[in-house]
Amino acid sequence: MDGVLIPTLVSGLLLGSLYALMASGLSLIWTTLGVFNFAHGALMTLGAYIAWTVTEQLGLGLAAGFVAGIGAAVIAGVVIELLLVRPFYGSRNMMLITVMTTLAASTIIERGISVIWGPRLKQLPRVIDGQVNILGAPVSAHETLIIVLAPAVLLALWWYTGRTRSGRSLRAVGQNQDSAALIGIDVPRTFSLAFGLSAALAGVTGVLLGSIRFITPGLGADPLVNAMIVVIFGGLGSLGATAGAAYVIGMMEALLVLWLGLYWTPSVLFVALIAVLVFRPNGLFGKVSA
Amino acid sequence: MSRLLDVSGIHAGYGTVPVLHGIDIHLDKGEAVGLFGPNGHGKSTLLRTISGLLRPSRGTVTFDGQDITTAKPSAIVAAGLIHAQQSNTLFGDMGVEETLELSAFSPRARDGWKDRLAEVHTLFPRLAERRRQKAKTLSGGERQMLSIGCALMCAPRLLILDEPTLGLSPRLKGELCAAIAEIAKKGVPLIVVEQDVEFLLTLTDRLYLVEQGEVAREIDGSNAPDHQEIMDMYFGEGAH
Amino acid sequence: MTRTQRLFALAALVLLAIVPFFVTDSYTRHVFIVAFIYATVAVNWDLSLGLGGLFNFGHVAFFGIGVYTAAILTTALDVSPWIAIPAGGITAAIAALIIALPVAKLQGIYVVLVTFAFGQLCLQIVLSQGDLTGGAEGLVRLPYLTIGDYKFIRDFKFAYYYLALAILAVSVIVLLLIAQSPFGKSLRAVRDNPDYAASRGISVARQRVLVLVASSVMTGVVGGFYAIYLRVASPEVFGFSIATLVVSMVLIGGAGSIIGPAIAALALTFATEAMAGVRGMEEARFIIVAVAMIVVLQVAPGGVVDIFGRLLGSGRKT
Ligand SMILES: Nc1ncnc2c1ncn2[C@@H]1O[C@H](COP(=O)(O)OP(=O)(O)O)[C@@H](O)[C@H]1O
Ligand SMILES: [Mg+2]
Repeated sequence: MDGVLIPTLVSGLLLGSLYALMASGLSLIWTTLGVFNFAHGALMTLGAYIAWTVTEQLGLGLAAGFVAGIGAAVIAGVVIELLLVRPFYGSRNMMLITVMTTLAASTIIERGISVIWGPRLKQLPRVIDGQVNILGAPVSAHETLIIVLAPAVLLALWWYTGRTRSGRSLRAVGQNQDSAALIGIDVPRTFSLAFGLSAALAGVTGVLLGSIRFITPGLGADPLVNAMIVVIFGGLGSLGATAGAAYVIGMMEALLVLWLGLYWTPSVLFVALIAVLVFRPNGLFGKVSA
Repeated sequence: MSRLLDVSGIHAGYGTVPVLHGIDIHLDKGEAVGLFGPNGHGKSTLLRTISGLLRPSRGTVTFDGQDITTAKPSAIVAAGLIHAQQSNTLFGDMGVEETLELSAFSPRARDGWKDRLAEVHTLFPRLAERRRQKAKTLSGGERQMLSIGCALMCAPRLLILDEPTLGLSPRLKGELCAAIAEIAKKGVPLIVVEQDVEFLLTLTDRLYLVEQGEVAREIDGSNAPDHQEIMDMYFGEGAH
Repeated sequence: MTRTQRLFALAALVLLAIVPFFVTDSYTRHVFIVAFIYATVAVNWDLSLGLGGLFNFGHVAFFGIGVYTAAILTTALDVSPWIAIPAGGITAAIAALIIALPVAKLQGIYVVLVTFAFGQLCLQIVLSQGDLTGGAEGLVRLPYLTIGDYKFIRDFKFAYYYLALAILAVSVIVLLLIAQSPFGKSLRAVRDNPDYAASRGISVARQRVLVLVASSVMTGVVGGFYAIYLRVASPEVFGFSIATLVVSMVLIGGAGSIIGPAIAALALTFATEAMAGVRGMEEARFIIVAVAMIVVLQVAPGGVVDIFGRLLGSGRKT
């Protein structure tokens, strides 16, 4: 059992880390402006492609690639906010309309990527090569880095929203826009800030994932769906619940793959999702409220 | 004396429904004025227009010589015009202390925020006792204190309070009125909306009666009404 | 739905019915058939999304379930395509019932998330159950439709054309009847004013279950038809692209108007097919449709039908 248990736990932690990074970005936008960004996965993909271009095509190295990839995601995120979300603030159906416009944005980005980069698979080099030994089991160093980095990023985000002025302003705007405006917070700018930060998280996920999976225009689709399942279980309202749900789902997925194999895992996850929702419509941890 | 605030000919409303039909009010430096009038006649709407939450369709708002009619709320706050809304629920999941700290948001308000926090705590000791409590778990009176406290943290050069004692018990109301009088004594220019006209008369230099989106009457020391006249104004005999 | 609109719908049906006598080439007829298929998916989606105000983003999964039902039945079990196509409607309805269980109780964005995740999990299942579904490659060489010795692919798809048109016509007629029934009226009332449900004692949960199941049946059937007609089943039917394309048909046409999405489906299918013929546009056409949807949402949230309605001065729809 030992031989498979450690790799399974590592794989669960890895999946959980990726889902937590993605889902926290979704939750950040949702809690600030009540918008669910369906282009989140596409932003992640864009980050990976830009990082690849800068690293491999321009040969500027992985560090420059990382910065460029994250920067590109941030710019695209802010543009989405300005063009596709801002015109609908205050509209009665804003939540629904922005689902559609961000869905359209995801199509535009994904197809745009196909047009620009073509269908050939790409891959980023790993940040660290080689393997490390975890309790006697060899684990890839790059994956270990992701497992360590994700909680660090989440902690930083938690500290930022709880302790800093601009982080607190995000929460204030999310809880009461008028009151936030009346203590001098620039509400529209805070919306852009939320989108930019969330896109940065997507970009980070993209460049990290781009070296363990092949980069395709659909790279972000899977992680987005899994992040959605995470927020269905954990709710969108709090960073802690979202991150907790991400690790539970990641672990569950890894264990299911170990016990049932790839063949049955999606089906079982599916049944579990429906069952949990029927019996606990408020999600596993969170309070599900619109 | 020079004008601190000049509101002239304001028309505003929600969507296509007009609420204000050409309101003029003004406030001189060092002055305190009161607004009163029946519910639903546009007092809060006027204040929302002044603080930039609503765009007027006509008219201008000038604060300290600057035209702020189309300025963003954040810019208006940065200039020092601070509005504590009616029944302000603030940020439900934020603690009292955190909310007060955050309220010193504009660069101008950052300076000396610790001293102002101490002043707020002196004025409302209860806020000091409930530092970590979340805003949504506060009682109505405590929430009102927090709302005024936040407004003070913004370093007001003009403080607008919208019905600060609405729905409070007589004892709490007395406490808040005393605190507001204290603020006025420190020389902060005030615009206060209140149903209790007698309190307004002791607090302020002038009163405006707002009715159906217009200023129906202006009252100052020379034409102060007695109790019966006030009752008439509320119940519709006095004006029109 | 006014009298003029009904007459218009009838005229359109007659017109479409005589098209094959003028349009004889196989390719143009193929585009019509695909347009009828998308239109069927779009109008049924309009029942839950537009009329019911239910933020159902898993509708295209019902279509995909129909596709795979027909494909699996005909390949693994040798069932006749004539049975496999309606069977798609049955499995889609069962799936709708399952997803309706949680959705009936959820609110707002969580309805969007759960229905969307439902579609994506269907995709995962199709991909993982490769023995049955063919995995990522899908299933190919499905049997075609025949009546006696007559093969439907003959005569430049003449028979397929009428079958597709019939499926669309049945859908539109049923949906128009639903829209005008007391059920349809209470749907709209609850959509426009959620408090109405409480004051009238209407069960929103029951309404949602009915709407989801009703909108799934013809969607599943047309999915089965799609598989048999194209003779392939590919996991792409569950993807973002088709969902975005069809939802843009509903929105551009005007959610809640039934006829609008049908018209938009025809127009958009022809537009995207025309663009597919242009070199370099294979991918870009999806971008153009997405941009068109965004523009419509900005300038005419009621959809293009709403613009025509206003131009004709006939007031607002429904
Ligand atoms: N957010 C709003 N949307 C639409 N109408 C509003 C809104 N707020 C207030 N009103 C309407 O504007 C009018 C004036 O309200 P308000 O300014 O709150 O009056 P007051 O503060 O004098 O009681 C009322 O008729 C009220 O119904
Ligand atoms: Mg008021």
